[in-house]
Amino acid sequence: MSFVRIIPSLLLSKKKLVKGKNFSNHINAGYPSSTCLALEGQKCDEIFLIDLDSYNNSKDPDFDSLNEISKNISTPITFGGGIKNFKQVIRAFQSGADKIYLSQILFKEKDIINKIKKIYGSQSIVAGINIITHGQEYYLLEDKKKKIDILDHIRSLIKLGVGEIKITFVNNEGSEKGMNLELSKRIISNIDFPIIFEGGLGNIEQIIEMIKIGANSFAIGSMITFKDYNIFKIKQHLFNKGYKVRF
Amino acid sequence: MKVGILDYKACNLGSVFSSLYQLGIDPIVINSPKKISEMDRLIIPGVGAAKNCMDYLKYNSFIEPIKKFLADKPVLGICLGMQIFAKKLYENGLSEGIGHIDGEVKKLDTKIKFNIGWKEVKFTKKIDKKLSIKDLSNFYYCHSYYVSLKKNNHCAAISYIENNNKIPAIIYKGNFIGTQFHPEKSQTDGNKFLEFFLNWKKN
Repeated sequence: MSFVRIIPSLLLSKKKLVKGKNFSNHINAGYPSSTCLALEGQKCDEIFLIDLDSYNNSKDPDFDSLNEISKNISTPITFGGGIKNFKQVIRAFQSGADKIYLSQILFKEKDIINKIKKIYGSQSIVAGINIITHGQEYYLLEDKKKKIDILDHIRSLIKLGVGEIKITFVNNEGSEKGMNLELSKRIISNIDFPIIFEGGLGNIEQIIEMIKIGANSFAIGSMITFKDYNIFKIKQHLFNKGYKVRF
Repeated sequence: MKVGILDYKACNLGSVFSSLYQLGIDPIVINSPKKISEMDRLIIPGVGAAKNCMDYLKYNSFIEPIKKFLADKPVLGICLGMQIFAKKLYENGLSEGIGHIDGEVKKLDTKIKFNIGWKEVKFTKKIDKKLSIKDLSNFYYCHSYYVSLKKNNHCAAISYIENNNKIPAIIYKGNFIGTQFHPEKSQTDGNKFLEFFLNWKKN
């Protein structure tokens, strides 16, 4: 049995961490470097660091914060948010990223996967899929008009050569109401690939529901930012319920 | 002690650098083959694709200086940095490795084809009594290729991945020690391992 992976998902804006709901209304959530140090102390398995500002402007993502964090911790960091070209990918790796998170750029320049794959290897690429649900129909945050087949979309990204996929349930994000179980189940039973789930987790029971259907990697935000949980506590609960976690 | 980190223009050099720095070492980034011989210890980081890395090392004449160094000083290869010491590598087409380890680097033949996350190690051999890492210590892995060894006697520890398939976690031979996991990203146990390497074969 593999370890359940608990990955804090941190959003960067103006050198600070922020957290919001449904991808908006962001409020201050602390200093990046000291927060990451604390999360490492709590034995988080990895860290996701997403720069929000660079999504909306032409500036480079916040490589300085990445660099500062990476100097202080020995935990794997996946960095992304508004990556626009290969040059920025190189800068991210040089600044201490271990993996690169790509979402928007996959709609404009799919070839970037090929470039990264050749130099850094597929295992270093995490592709982000931001799913919006309307009843039984699915859309992507980046193209709200086009209905998509989620399984086909995932398969096409795997074929391009990414190493992991992060699925975010946009509707559930920040809601603490749990993840989209039905869709998760469909994805897990049809796709054999490393998949990280994000969006909606608010308590331990919801994590366990997901583990029971076969998920084992979770990115969490609100649960550790705004509630009285921490990584260690989450892992302790899971361990006590008989799931394999590392301390 | 001079510890060199080889820069092959991919790799997560920054992460290895900071881990060593936190252990009290000011590492030296090696950009030129001439500088290798000035070091006391050499680390070759991971995060890269095999073919690109081997091509870079060949075109820039790093191979011979690495081999020469290895003859009398300790070398640590991390992930791809270990895999390049095998004879053949198959990522993005065939490339010839340094050949110090009798084995080939192949794609994981599991269903998922990737091993990403933390895994426990199980020792199959005692490397050195100074190594304080024990069975069940866990380390961070991020790879889709592994070293398929011809002779298992170079394997010091294994890890079980998907469906109980086992892969070499630590390989050592002579002055070379390689890890498939990333000690620089493996928190407390990772730092213990790096510290061990810094003191390995020291009188």
